[in-house]
Amino acid sequence: MIINHPLLGPRDAAEFVYLGDAALIDRPDPEAENADEKFYEYGYLRDNPAGEHQELWYHEQGDRSWLVVTRDTLTHEITSVKLARDEAKKRGRDK
Amino acid sequence: MADFTLTAEPFLGRFEQHYDDVKLREIYDVAVVSAAIPLRKLTAAKKAVRAAFGVDLPEVGLSALSQDSAMRILRLGTDQAFVVFPRAQQDTGAEPHIADLLGGVFYTTDQSDVWVTLELSGAGARRALERICPLNLAPDAFGIGAVARTSMEHLGTVIIRTCDDSFLLMSASSSAHSFLHAIETSIANTA
Repeated sequence: MIINHPLLGPRDAAEFVYLGDAALIDRPDPEAENADEKFYEYGYLRDNPAGEHQELWYHEQGDRSWLVVTRDTLTHEITSVKLARDEAKKRGRDK
Repeated sequence: MADFTLTAEPFLGRFEQHYDDVKLREIYDVAVVSAAIPLRKLTAAKKAVRAAFGVDLPEVGLSALSQDSAMRILRLGTDQAFVVFPRAQQDTGAEPHIADLLGGVFYTTDQSDVWVTLELSGAGARRALERICPLNLAPDAFGIGAVARTSMEHLGTVIIRTCDDSFLLMSASSSAHSFLHAIETSIANTA
């Protein structure tokens, strides 16, 4: 499988480490009233779609960047690769 | 008690070997300083590199030689660069020298003893790497000055194309002999 890195171009999947659902970017607010429940969901509950899935990959044998990869879990087709840093900023993270 | 004198030796004992159209040799006495860019300091970092080396901070995936050609700056990632140069040049230690040159803008770490460096050159160099290197090394895809961090035979490797048919390969010095063996095997398998 080839992952088309936004900065480095096509790279072999063997250079990457898979973490899981990109929903991990959205860490719940620890000050919220229902923080317990939200962190339980954040830590343990995952969707397991047969189809398009957004997931986090780490370029360990490369530039050490985190990526958000959109992959079809049925065909392994990758339709989008973004820097997780950019994606997190887009969702309101300040750095 | 007898007096002992310890003499530092290169990791691979100045290895040098010629194969038909490929030459493989150890580049020793190499100083390597990691220069990491602090958060939100990219503009200051660019300015510091220009002032220190007389060239622009290369884009990710590229390297640049300093104006006097004494040092090579490798941009390995958004936040990280390496400065590579002959070790004997500085008596005071590589890291303080580079930290000083860069005006303290970067987080600098001495990695000189961490990396072993091999130079693979000759008309067959690209062929020798075709099975062990997962990157596309075609001349137009991996131009002169291109740099990439990847893995070869499961060993983390930095590869730099220095001229037409010449590549520098840097890998962990702790597995220097395994790395050499992997590269030699690849040369033999593709001969």
